[in-house]
Amino acid sequence: MSEKTASNLQKRRIREHNPVLNTFTFIVLSISVLACVIPFLYIIAMSFSSPVAITNNRVSLWPVDFTVEAYKSIYEYPNFFRAYGYTFLYTFFGTLISLFMMVLFAYPLSKDWLKGQKIAMKLVIFSMFFSGGLIPNYLLINSLHLVGTVWSMLIPYAINQFNLIILINFFKGLPTEIEEAAVIDGLSYFGILVRIVLPLSGAALATVGLYTAVFFWNNWFAPLIYLKSSQYPVMMLLRNIVNGRTMIVDNGGMGEKSSLSISIKSAVIILSSLPIIMLYPFLQKYFVKGMTVGAVKG
Amino acid sequence: MKKFLSLLMAAVMLLSVSSIVATAEEAPIKISIYYSDNSTLPYREDWRTISYLEERFNVDLVFEPIPMTDYGTKVTNVLNNQGDDTPDVILGTSTAGGNAALALNGGAYAVNTNPDWTPNFNARVAEFGLEESVNMLKLGDGNLYYLPQLFDVPFYDGGLILRQDYLEAKGFEAPKTFDDLYVILKAYKEDYPDSIPLTSIVNIYVLQRMTMPAFGISVGRSTSTGTRVLSWDYENQEYFAGALSENYKEYIRFFSKLYKEGLLDPEFTQDDAAATRKLATGLSMAVYGYYDQIGGWEGASEIEGMDLNMYPSLAGPNGAHHQPKSSVGNGIMFPAKTMQRADFEQVVRKIDEVFFSEEGAKVWCLGVEGETYTEVDGKVVFSDDIMAHENQEGIYKYMQNAYGCGCDGTQVVWYNAREMTKYDENYSRINAEVAAIGDVIQYVPATPAFDDEAAEEAALLQTALADAFFVWDDAFMRGTKDIDADWAEYEQDLKSKGIDDFVALYNEYNKYK
Repeated sequence: MSEKTASNLQKRRIREHNPVLNTFTFIVLSISVLACVIPFLYIIAMSFSSPVAITNNRVSLWPVDFTVEAYKSIYEYPNFFRAYGYTFLYTFFGTLISLFMMVLFAYPLSKDWLKGQKIAMKLVIFSMFFSGGLIPNYLLINSLHLVGTVWSMLIPYAINQFNLIILINFFKGLPTEIEEAAVIDGLSYFGILVRIVLPLSGAALATVGLYTAVFFWNNWFAPLIYLKSSQYPVMMLLRNIVNGRTMIVDNGGMGEKSSLSISIKSAVIILSSLPIIMLYPFLQKYFVKGMTVGAVKG
Repeated sequence: MKKFLSLLMAAVMLLSVSSIVATAEEAPIKISIYYSDNSTLPYREDWRTISYLEERFNVDLVFEPIPMTDYGTKVTNVLNNQGDDTPDVILGTSTAGGNAALALNGGAYAVNTNPDWTPNFNARVAEFGLEESVNMLKLGDGNLYYLPQLFDVPFYDGGLILRQDYLEAKGFEAPKTFDDLYVILKAYKEDYPDSIPLTSIVNIYVLQRMTMPAFGISVGRSTSTGTRVLSWDYENQEYFAGALSENYKEYIRFFSKLYKEGLLDPEFTQDDAAATRKLATGLSMAVYGYYDQIGGWEGASEIEGMDLNMYPSLAGPNGAHHQPKSSVGNGIMFPAKTMQRADFEQVVRKIDEVFFSEEGAKVWCLGVEGETYTEVDGKVVFSDDIMAHENQEGIYKYMQNAYGCGCDGTQVVWYNAREMTKYDENYSRINAEVAAIGDVIQYVPATPAFDDEAAEEAALLQTALADAFFVWDDAFMRGTKDIDADWAEYEQDLKSKGIDDFVALYNEYNKYK
């Protein structure tokens, strides 16, 4: 063991056994956790409380005048569950297609010796900074007759340049010796990708998959532009429910000036965010590893 | 003779049978429709108004409810691109803003091209005497690109709402002027020192747009001219720099005094929940809001005997005026792509019939006679199902939610007296009081007929002026700038940003000249 390594280890031990430092770390992390959890608990409490209790400031972190009326109202809200179903569909198949396409694109681009690799990389990076804009995109998707079909949600978003670069860098970090051995054993490039590279890329795929799933889950603008209202995901409804009241139509009928209770808004927020939040614990072990995926070229 | 008669009868019978067969075989015209969907009273596929009108007029209306918050974006997109998802008809839209350029560039059908295709619309316009107002909606090329909503008399649906129980307890008369209001707010503050007696829903601009006309101006974020800094001179029918007028000075003097004395809510922007909380808990006792919100505020309150009521517009230096309203609103547009349909004329005629005919208009307002209402001696009597909700969400909300009556997009013909049947007597009384004052709700001046170059110049001037004005207005209201001491600097700022040119430009293209 070198002198420098020994000194580093000693410093680390001091840090680990320093009660002041540990307490400080504990306090900072606890505050961070509470800052994230308390608003969520507050929203849950409001979704199960009566509107009168909420208005009169009687609700904190526990429901007051417990009621499930807000959830009942949502159950009766037209098309809420159909929209929910579409959200799952776009998220699941969108992520699947996206991962499939990005892996197929990233693997060859991770090979520096591939002819045209540098130009392809430049094109990828160029398109990351300069997009076509809304109207050209719409015209393209319309001329492909994808407007009004679920494919307009799945195909145009199949490749995200940022995630693609993460994957490329991860693939570049894999030892080339393994692939060389596989070639000697008679595996094709596709065989190497499926049998060697992908099984070693769990962390990268989980990270990129999670980013992609969150994107599809939250995406509301593309559905607005490309889909029929009967195909809208739940985020469109949520946005309409939460923001609807900010529109005041001067000449409108009385109905235009109505508002939804805060308990219903809270219930909608819970129902629409909970499923994607629940995904994190399952992917956490990959996600923590994957945070630095592609950051350093090995 | 006998032979002739039998032949004639046979011919008549044959004709009748053939016409019946022809009618029975005529398939309904399918029309796809964009509808601005209000999340609080969302579109339902089973609305009886729609199914009844479909049967009655032999039409298949395919509604595409688009969230209200994003409706403008979606409409602009289809007018711009005319893609596969372009509907045959767009409800609740107009040629305001960017849509004007799209219409002028061939994005929409000019409805005045074939006036004989819209006989019901023409009849309603004539009935309400709105020829001039409709004419004012024409764009620079002299064409009208949508069939607007028509109102016979504008509604007084929002305004000053006060705690009537407090007024009665203290022996105050109903306020008639802004000075009366000041006395009431001051008394409440003295009784409850921690209170902020006057608040506004959504944003202070709601309060401003409802109160400024009494001072002879309409400036700020939500103004009748849409210019943010100009106002309309009703006497001379021309624009003037409202933001630099003596009227504005007087307005600011009053409201900054309220702010300074803690009588006006310092939260100029707030969501519904915050405003409701203030009113329900008694933190505030007055608000500029809408009549239909009263039930929600009272229902949320735990204060015994709390009684909110709406009052007619208060009189200011310019008289008792509420925010100006137009008798023509957003209406029905046909995207250019619809003109490619072989049966385009039939589509226009059907839309005219379904939405503007006397029968269609009545169904969109009251529902189906015999199902949602009956008429007894000319008086509308609603069904038991509807009346059972009178004291809950109210007739108008229930009718929209359950039957699709009174939706802002689908109902395009508004008779004030017919609407009043859906509201309580108190609301009708307030509207009658307002009507008795006379000219409380003035008209909205028509947007000038700018050409492209002038429109661009106006937009550039407006952006710079509005940005500067919002900063000054906020500072004047909050008292961080003094309306008298800092006036010269403020005036210089707006003049340097071209307010004089802006006034001149608007008056040059003024449609009333």
